[in-house]
Amino acid sequence: MDLTAPVLTGYGIWAPVAWLAAFVAATIVVYILWKTGESSYKKGTEQGRPYLSGNAEPEKGAVHIRASNLYWGFLQALKGYYDAIVPMHTGVLTDYMVWFVAVTAVLLVIIGVLS
Amino acid sequence: MKLTKSFNRSLWVFHLNTGSCNGCEIEIVATITPRYDPERFGMKLVGSPKHADVLLVTGPVTKKMAQKVRRVYEQVPDPKLVMCIGTCGQSGGVFYDSYNLDGPIDQILPVDVYVPGCPPRPEAIIFGVVKALEKLERLEAAQ
Repeated sequence: MDLTAPVLTGYGIWAPVAWLAAFVAATIVVYILWKTGESSYKKGTEQGRPYLSGNAEPEKGAVHIRASNLYWGFLQALKGYYDAIVPMHTGVLTDYMVWFVAVTAVLLVIIGVLS
Repeated sequence: MKLTKSFNRSLWVFHLNTGSCNGCEIEIVATITPRYDPERFGMKLVGSPKHADVLLVTGPVTKKMAQKVRRVYEQVPDPKLVMCIGTCGQSGGVFYDSYNLDGPIDQILPVDVYVPGCPPRPEAIIFGVVKALEKLERLEAAQ
């Protein structure tokens, strides 16, 4: 048997039996690894909490990283633009309609002048 | 208490500085260099107390560190040993009776092995590790 040959399932990539066998094999490996782990740790004590250089574990909310943190660099790079744009974003529909009408009017004037 | 076979003579060590001047740290680093190389016996410094068998404590334990020392000690899985490296940990050393100390270490934790010196030489630290192994063997024999 050539172990390096590609596995041909006859069903393409989706072969339920092959996937099930892989899942069972992975589960067995995970279970063996889990069983060889240290079982004598004391639940509910410091042994069950993460090591943070000896500091107490903060509340989950205190260490939550907001989605906006991911865009920090982007927001910082375009700070000037956002400083001008964000105050305009009032959330009031009529404000947006005024902007729409105003920008359309300006565009029409420009197009009219150019043509 | 459970002592596994792999625990024998293969001590993983977590180092905790509780306010040391760094003299002991330099000697600990010297101890793990290739000149002495205790890693060939399975002894190595680890990055988390959760992986450690031995807590290597240096420094006189300042007030700010006392609670952290207790927490780290609790995070070391049982069975565990505490080794106190240097004079400061044993008596406070030159900081003896300072207003800023909660130590020495045996006021905070049960210490198994003391390695005196300011700072102790690597040979002394290795001798301390041997003493720790002897204590473990006694514990094992008592089981």
